[in-house]
Amino acid sequence: MPFYQKGDVKIYYEEAGSGFPLLVIPGGGLNSTVAGLKTHPFNPLDEFKDQYRVIAADLRNAKGGQSTGPLETGRPWDAYTDDHIGLMDHLGIKGFMVLGFCIGGPFIWNLLKRAGDRVVAAVPVQPSGYRHEMPELSYKNNMKSWGPELCERRPDITMAMVDTFLSNMYRGERADFVYTVSRDFVRQCRTPILILPDDVPGHPYAVALESAYLAPNAQVSLYPWKMSPIQIRIALRHVRAFLDNNRPAVAAQPLAVAAQ
Amino acid sequence: MAFYEKGDVKIYYEDTGGSSFPLLIIPGGGLNATIAYTRNTATAPFDATAEFKNEYRCIAFDLRNANGGQSSGPLEVDRPWESYTDDMLGLLDHLGIGEFMALGYCIGGPFIWNLLRRAGRRVVAAVPTQPSGFRPTQPTLFYDNNIKGWAPALCERRPDITMAQCDEFLRNMYTKRSDFVFTVSRDFVRDCQTPVLVLPDDVPAHPYAVAMESVYLAPNAQVSLYPWKDNPEKVQLAVRHVRTFLKANRPA
Repeated sequence: MPFYQKGDVKIYYEEAGSGFPLLVIPGGGLNSTVAGLKTHPFNPLDEFKDQYRVIAADLRNAKGGQSTGPLETGRPWDAYTDDHIGLMDHLGIKGFMVLGFCIGGPFIWNLLKRAGDRVVAAVPVQPSGYRHEMPELSYKNNMKSWGPELCERRPDITMAMVDTFLSNMYRGERADFVYTVSRDFVRQCRTPILILPDDVPGHPYAVALESAYLAPNAQVSLYPWKMSPIQIRIALRHVRAFLDNNRPAVAAQPLAVAAQ
Repeated sequence: MAFYEKGDVKIYYEDTGGSSFPLLIIPGGGLNATIAYTRNTATAPFDATAEFKNEYRCIAFDLRNANGGQSSGPLEVDRPWESYTDDMLGLLDHLGIGEFMALGYCIGGPFIWNLLRRAGRRVVAAVPTQPSGFRPTQPTLFYDNNIKGWAPALCERRPDITMAQCDEFLRNMYTKRSDFVFTVSRDFVRDCQTPVLVLPDDVPAHPYAVAMESVYLAPNAQVSLYPWKDNPEKVQLAVRHVRTFLKANRPA
């Protein structure tokens, strides 16, 4: 049962396979866990372990997960991104690729903003985004399905704190596009990106395509790609070719070596 | 002005040369497929030679007897698809090329499948772009288009060819093969292990359903986003997919 710990933060993670590191960010909103990957259209731990060192973690404070830490109400997205980068540091990984479902989309953009020199390529899968016609969707969903249960098992956290946390995460100036970065950032991001779009309320197709249009090295999969097992296999062939093409020729450098 | 000649057949081609891996580019435009088609953004959504010449040895050619082209040869009424495929394989032989990749627009789709059937070991990967196919709701579409849009001009400049011969040629090419991708069976596609990336279209001659059926059947197929030609951004997204696909399958 591996954990990465830093101060009050304790992050549960799992690894499979060997090769260039592929960080997998499960979907499920703020209840994103490794176990939840079993319910996803595909499980990258199984799919890519033959060629990659696949690493997935439970999101801090996710229901049903084993990761815990303070609720950093003033910096929700960055607190989670701290955990992703911290876990990579803990494992001695410098360069990596990242594949993220749903909320993994905004997390990927935040990783690119904060550690763009380490993220070699990225695959947002059915990425979350802001939908103008349902402006309170993410806030309300989490106030209902994440906040109360978290408060119940964590007496140090109140619904007022959850409200502040979610407001800073999804409302105000964050209520736009992919929540975590601006269109200008995406426009200038040279990192290869492959997007597998969706179009449920929390995963707007328009935002997925807009980010693909803006990012100068973006690609998009077929759409829809989840209607049948064969479509999923076709999308996975694209993902595999994309990862293989962008995998550095030299094996992942440990941090210590890279720092020299 | 490069020509490949074999007997009565004379095929005009353009070759970017070099030592990089060969990419055969089959123009679109039906039986009037010429290199000019690929260079014109009004007809081709992207110019494959311009896109890929820095990474691949791009070879494009005019189809035998295409109006507006410089390739000529007999009208082989009994083996229309095969005679064109002869020209492609013969051109590659002429250039000393063994293995290659192929990217074909429109009619290039059926040609690619025929190349895979006849020279599967040489075709490392293939990209049918807006591929042609049979549409049961418009069963005479290809015959009608070509008997009007190709045959008369050909007969006019080639006194040795008659409209009766064109009629027979087109019946053997399309009417008697009116199913799926014209050139191969579903069983062939089902067994074809060659990586294929399809960029679908959905105009009458390029049925989306056939493009997707071939993708679902072929065990190593990929498919681009769709639609991919409504704006320049989408074309670029599709071209990046093609680049990734070609690079992933290019022999080391």
